[in-house]
Amino acid sequence: MEYRLRLAKRMLFNKKGSLIGAVLAVTIGILVIHVNFVIFQGLFDAIVRDISNYRNGDILVTDEADYIDKSDLALVNWFERIPFVQGATPRLSSSAEINMTKNGNLIEETRVPVVGVDPLRDVKASTAHETVAEGTYILNRNSVVLGNNVATDLGNAQVGDSLKMLIVDRSGEDQIRRFTVAGIVKSPGGQGLDYSVVMHIDTLRDMMGRSGESGSFMVKLNDPTKAFEVKEFFLAAFPNDDFIAETIEESAEEQLAGFRSGIAMINLIGYFGMMSSAFAIVTIQMMLVNGKTREIGVMRSIGAKRKDILIIFIFQGMIIGAIGAGVGTAAGLGYTIYAKETKMSFMNSIPLEVNYNWEKIIQTALLSFSLAILASLYPSYRATKLLPVEAMRTV
Amino acid sequence: MTKIYGMGENKVKALDDASFSIEKGEFVLIVGSSGSGKSTLLNMIGLLDRPTKGKVFIDGTDTTKLNDNKISAFRNKKLGFIFQFSNLLTDLTVLENVLLPRQIAGTNGSAEKDARELLKIVELESQINKRANKISGGQAQRVAIARGLINRPSIVLADEPTGNLDSVTSKIIVDLMKSMAKKLNQTFIIVTHEPDHFGDVDKIITIKDGKAFEGEPLAHPEIIA
Repeated sequence: MEYRLRLAKRMLFNKKGSLIGAVLAVTIGILVIHVNFVIFQGLFDAIVRDISNYRNGDILVTDEADYIDKSDLALVNWFERIPFVQGATPRLSSSAEINMTKNGNLIEETRVPVVGVDPLRDVKASTAHETVAEGTYILNRNSVVLGNNVATDLGNAQVGDSLKMLIVDRSGEDQIRRFTVAGIVKSPGGQGLDYSVVMHIDTLRDMMGRSGESGSFMVKLNDPTKAFEVKEFFLAAFPNDDFIAETIEESAEEQLAGFRSGIAMINLIGYFGMMSSAFAIVTIQMMLVNGKTREIGVMRSIGAKRKDILIIFIFQGMIIGAIGAGVGTAAGLGYTIYAKETKMSFMNSIPLEVNYNWEKIIQTALLSFSLAILASLYPSYRATKLLPVEAMRTV
Repeated sequence: MTKIYGMGENKVKALDDASFSIEKGEFVLIVGSSGSGKSTLLNMIGLLDRPTKGKVFIDGTDTTKLNDNKISAFRNKKLGFIFQFSNLLTDLTVLENVLLPRQIAGTNGSAEKDARELLKIVELESQINKRANKISGGQAQRVAIARGLINRPSIVLADEPTGNLDSVTSKIIVDLMKSMAKKLNQTFIIVTHEPDHFGDVDKIITIKDGKAFEGEPLAHPEIIA
């Protein structure tokens, strides 16, 4: 083995306290970044996942003219011919006034968001039906599913309760109908349809006076990475229509923009943490250099050049960086695996969407390794400045 | 050469125009009282420090003109050091300590064979894999001798090599140095305040108040005065 590397290793391993301290500094720096990533990126991805699963799909098709007048069958069939597409479903949105009598009291709620869904197609393109906490999903055209928060606002409405709903149609007329509550939906973190009323799309079309029209189509893909490709293919296939097709990143941009900058800020804090671990390495290595002053003098006296001393201490930085990056990455991965396997969530909130971002994992490990080397430069330089005679006088 | 430490009122003249020459293969003692400048002189000869004034010629080379890298290479190839406290690197084994100057020189060819041979001469072949801090003071000093000789330097410099040893071990070390000097035709320059331990030597240089005198102190009435 190269003698300078051997010496660097021995000097470091014989000072176990310093070695452990320096390695811990690197490890904690990496761990902070991994934990930040798992929690905040996991939360971001979970929100994207839920928006995609419950509302927008991987591609959201709308129309410049507010409503799509092409038939459900035509568009759904067009999408479902594409192998990447898992399912496509029309959606229609409006708002309603609801009133119901509960325990002899009349409770009224206004401006409640209403979502019209095609129950048969929706189950292929959305997982909204999986959030049913009580009862069932849409059974027929006379039933509705209440979001958990709406049910609470209506005095804890239950499955089987009857309610009256008023929707203003396209000509400004009030359309009132009575519905039976078929189910109540509740999603972790409330990202689903918890604040909405879900009903059959054809019923909503009737009430709004928009027969055969849809507000949007949500398209779910088997492989979300193909979203852009499918979107472009769709737009090219309907050049004469005024369709707007957006990937989840585009359609949810407004909701996600603030979050994205928050994550950038948190990441920045993580990297500052890593920087402070570099300062810890500088301090520990300065202690190592001070502790080895006599040895440095002896080495210089038997012919070691300043460059040799510099290399020995840079090797030490590399060893600290390599072990720290290894341990830190292993600990970070351990935490990531734990978070993924346990579908980590905080206080029954949205379960984190944990992914192994290998690019980021490798990048973090390499960055901390490089920082450890960088941090060792100053102590190494100081070591080269010791004069042999003076260094050897040190006891 | 002259060496002055400090500045202004704190100036100390450690060497005062000291001048002498030593021939190849000579076994030379540098003697003098404590603080006379012996070690300073050895540091100048060993290129561990630079004189304030004057020059040090080794094998015809004016060493004061060499830059730091060349001085390091010169120390590595031409000079061998034996210190009072052996100054072994405690992180390395006995064998690794002896090998170190050769590894620094980058000529590893027969290094291990040579190191083992030297350790056999200093009777430490059974200790080669021991950590340097796990052997006795006498053994450490013998390892230091082997380390000082591994690159076959033309000059071996020893600073109080027996200063830290008992009389029996001192004799072993002195005999060892003398036999090595004869065997390898090397110049030995030894700083000591115990010249009697060394018996007959080729030359004695006495240092008094930074000045150098060739011969024993008794030969110089001005020193005694």
